[in-house]
Amino acid sequence: MFGQRRSKRNIFALATLAAGALAVTALPAQAFNVHTTDGVTPTTIKLGITIPLTGSAAPGYNKIPSAMIAYFNYVNDNGGVNGRKIQLVVKDDAYLPTLAVAKTNELILKDKVFAVIGALGTANHIAVSKSVNLGRRGVPDLFLNTGFSGFSDAKKYPSTFSLFPSYVMEAKIMGQYLKDKFPGKKLGLIYQADDFGTDALAGFKQAGTNFAVKVSYASGSQSAQTAAGWVSKLKTAGAEVVVMFGVTTASGAALATSAALGYKAQWILGSVGGDATTLKAVGVPAVVLTGAIGASFLPAPTDTSDPYVAFFQGINTKYNGGAVFDNNVLVGMNTAMMTVQALRAAGANPTQKGLIAAIESKGSTFASAGLAPLNYAKGVHVGYNGYWFGSYNSSGELKPIGGDYSVYTTDSGAGAIVKSTYVRPALPANGLPTN
Amino acid sequence: MRNLLGHSSRRFKAAITFPLIGVALFLISNRVDELRVYQGANVAVYVVAIISIILLTGYSGQISLGHGALMAVGAYAAVLSQVYWHLPVILTFVVAVLAAAGFGAILGTAAGRLTGPYLAGTTLALAVGLPSLANQFGFLGGEQGLNYDVGLPPAWLGADFTQYKWFFWISALAALIVTWISFNLLGSHYGRNWRALRSNPTAAALMGIHVGRSKVLAFTVSSGLAGLAGALLAMTISLVTPSAFPTSLSFSIVTGAVLAGVTLLTGSIVGAVVLVAIPEITGALAAHLGGSEKVTSNLPGLLTSVLLIVAVLLFPNGPQAIMKRTRKSSQ
Repeated sequence: MFGQRRSKRNIFALATLAAGALAVTALPAQAFNVHTTDGVTPTTIKLGITIPLTGSAAPGYNKIPSAMIAYFNYVNDNGGVNGRKIQLVVKDDAYLPTLAVAKTNELILKDKVFAVIGALGTANHIAVSKSVNLGRRGVPDLFLNTGFSGFSDAKKYPSTFSLFPSYVMEAKIMGQYLKDKFPGKKLGLIYQADDFGTDALAGFKQAGTNFAVKVSYASGSQSAQTAAGWVSKLKTAGAEVVVMFGVTTASGAALATSAALGYKAQWILGSVGGDATTLKAVGVPAVVLTGAIGASFLPAPTDTSDPYVAFFQGINTKYNGGAVFDNNVLVGMNTAMMTVQALRAAGANPTQKGLIAAIESKGSTFASAGLAPLNYAKGVHVGYNGYWFGSYNSSGELKPIGGDYSVYTTDSGAGAIVKSTYVRPALPANGLPTN
Repeated sequence: MRNLLGHSSRRFKAAITFPLIGVALFLISNRVDELRVYQGANVAVYVVAIISIILLTGYSGQISLGHGALMAVGAYAAVLSQVYWHLPVILTFVVAVLAAAGFGAILGTAAGRLTGPYLAGTTLALAVGLPSLANQFGFLGGEQGLNYDVGLPPAWLGADFTQYKWFFWISALAALIVTWISFNLLGSHYGRNWRALRSNPTAAALMGIHVGRSKVLAFTVSSGLAGLAGALLAMTISLVTPSAFPTSLSFSIVTGAVLAGVTLLTGSIVGAVVLVAIPEITGALAAHLGGSEKVTSNLPGLLTSVLLIVAVLLFPNGPQAIMKRTRKSSQ
C-alpha cells in the first residue's frame, strides 16, 4: 500500500500537519489562559452535579437534581444570592465511574462551574476525585450524596465536604441499637462488597456486633435470583434479625424475595436502601415493609409537623410540579438550602477558596433539616454524625420509635455513641437564609 | 516489489516524521485548553485501539467484536500488577500488553478455526461476558473497581502542568510508538503475509504462507495493542471497573476502524477523533432540540450505530479512500 509515490504524498501530508500544528502554537498562549473565577458573573453563579438519571441506580436518585433546582428557583425568585441567580447544570452519569469522570470533566472544563454539589456514589466519586482531582484544582466539592467515611479526610480531599453521616457511624449506631433492643437474637447482615460495605463492617466491628451470618453481594449483581441465594443463607443460619446494608434495589430484592419465599425476620434497613417510595417503585408491597426498622438523620419526609418538611413540601408543590415528596426530594432541597448558605457565607465576591474557607468557619451553624449536628470546622469536613431509628407503618411512613426523634451521635473512629442533645437552628423566615 | 533503497528511505522518512509529530503534539498540548487536552488523551487511546482492529481486520481479515474485552484484560492486568505487585507504572503498561497478547494468542488459536459470523459471534460473547467476571471475584474489585494511579506529573514540569496533560503525554507517546511499530510491521513480510491471507487464504497457503500461524500471530499482536489501549483508558479514568468496558466499546472501536478505512493506519486518527467528538455532537444536538439529559445520554450509542451503517454502505474503505478515488478521477 505504500508505493514510492504514495509514501511521498503521505510524508507531505504529515509534514503539512506538523507545520500547521506549529503555526497553532505560535498563537499567544495567554489567549487560552485568561483566568477569572469560574462560574461566577455579576448576575449568576453556575453550579454542577453528576448523578444517575438513567440506569439501574436511577430510581429515586433521579429526583434529587430537580428538587435542588426547585429550591434554587425559589431563592432566585426572591433575589438570588447577593443578586446572583443560581444555575445548576445537571449531568447524567448512569452510576458508571467512567461517565462520572467524563461528565465531571465537562462540568469543570466546559461549563466551568463554580462548584460541584451533591455528587453521588462512592465508587464514582473516588474515580472522580482521583482523575479529575477536584482537590488539586481547588474546585469545591460540596455535600456529597454518599456516606463513605474516606471523603471526610480533609487532607486527602481538601475541597470535598461530606454531608451524610459516614457508613461507619451508621453501622456503629445500628450495632448499639441491636445490642440494646435485640439481645441474644441471631443476627444476619447483607452488605455490598465494596468500600460502602467495608465501612459498614468497620462500624459493626467497633460496636462489637456479632453476626451469625454475613452475606455480601457485588454491586450491580442484585436481582430476584441473587436475593434468593441471600435468603437461603440467612434461613440456613437461622437469622432472626437481618440488617440490610445496601442500595435500594438490593434491599427491595431482599424484602420482596424473602416475602415470596416465606422467610420472616425483623428487617433493619440502612439509610441508603430505606427510602419507602423508591422501595415501592421497585416492587416491594407495602405489607412487606410494614414493621421493618429504618434509620435516618433527616426528619421523616411524611412528618408535616416538622417545619422544614412542611416548608419543603410547599416548595415541592409550587416549584417541583408536585413530585412525590420522599427522602430524595427532601435531601435535594436540604442540600440546596445548605448550598445557598455556603454561597452567602463566601461573601459578595465569592471565590472557590473563599467558599471552602466559609464552610469551614461557618458551616456548623447552617440551618438545615438534619436532626444531627453539622461538624464542619477548620480541617474537618464531616457533616452530620448521627441517626435516629424508626419503624415503617402500613403506609410506608417511617415513624420514630418511641414517638420522638432520639438521635444518637458518634464518629467514624473509636469514639463513644451518645444520645444527642443537639437542637438544630430554626427554619429561616420564608425558608430564605439570611446568614 | 519494493527495492531496497525504497524500503530504507521509507524508514528514514518515518524516523523523521514521527518525532516531528511528537514535537508538534507536545507544543499543541501547551496551547489548547484543558478539555481539549483531555479529549486529546482519549483520541490517543482510541488511536491505539483502532490500530489494533486495523491490524486484525484490515490486514489479516479476521473480525473481532470483542476487543473491548481484550482492553479490559489489559487494563485489569495493568492495575493488578500495580495493586498487588507494586510495579512501576511503565512496567504495568508492559504487563498490560503481555497479558492481553497472551490471552489473544489463546483466543486466536480458537479463532483461527472460525471465520465470518462465527468468529464475530464468539468474540462478541467475550465482550458481553468477560468484563462482568470482575463482579464474581473479590480481588478484582467488583463494580466499584480498583484504582489505577499513574501518579502526578513530575515536579520539574511545573505546578501548572495538569494531570490531563500528563495523561495526554503518556497516551500520545504510546499512540505514536504503536503507530510507528505498526507502520514498520505492516511493511515487513508479516504485513505482506497478512494481506495475502486476507485476499485469498488458499492462494496464500499455496505461496507457502502458514495460514494458521499467521492468523494467530495477527490476533496476538492485535490483542497486545488492545491491552495497551485498555490500560491507557484505565489511566484516563484512574480506575478499572467492568462498566468501563461495556459491549458498546467494542462496537465503537470497530466503527472507528471502519471510519478510518480499515486498511489505513493514518486513518486511525480520523476514526478516533470522530469517536471522541460523538458525545460532543450529540450534546450540542440535544441542547438545540431541547431534549432531556435522559435522551442525551442515549444519543451517542445511536449516532455510533448510524455512522457504522452509513460508513459500511457508502464508503466501506473509509472516507479517505473516497477522497483518493475522486482525486484519481480528476487527474
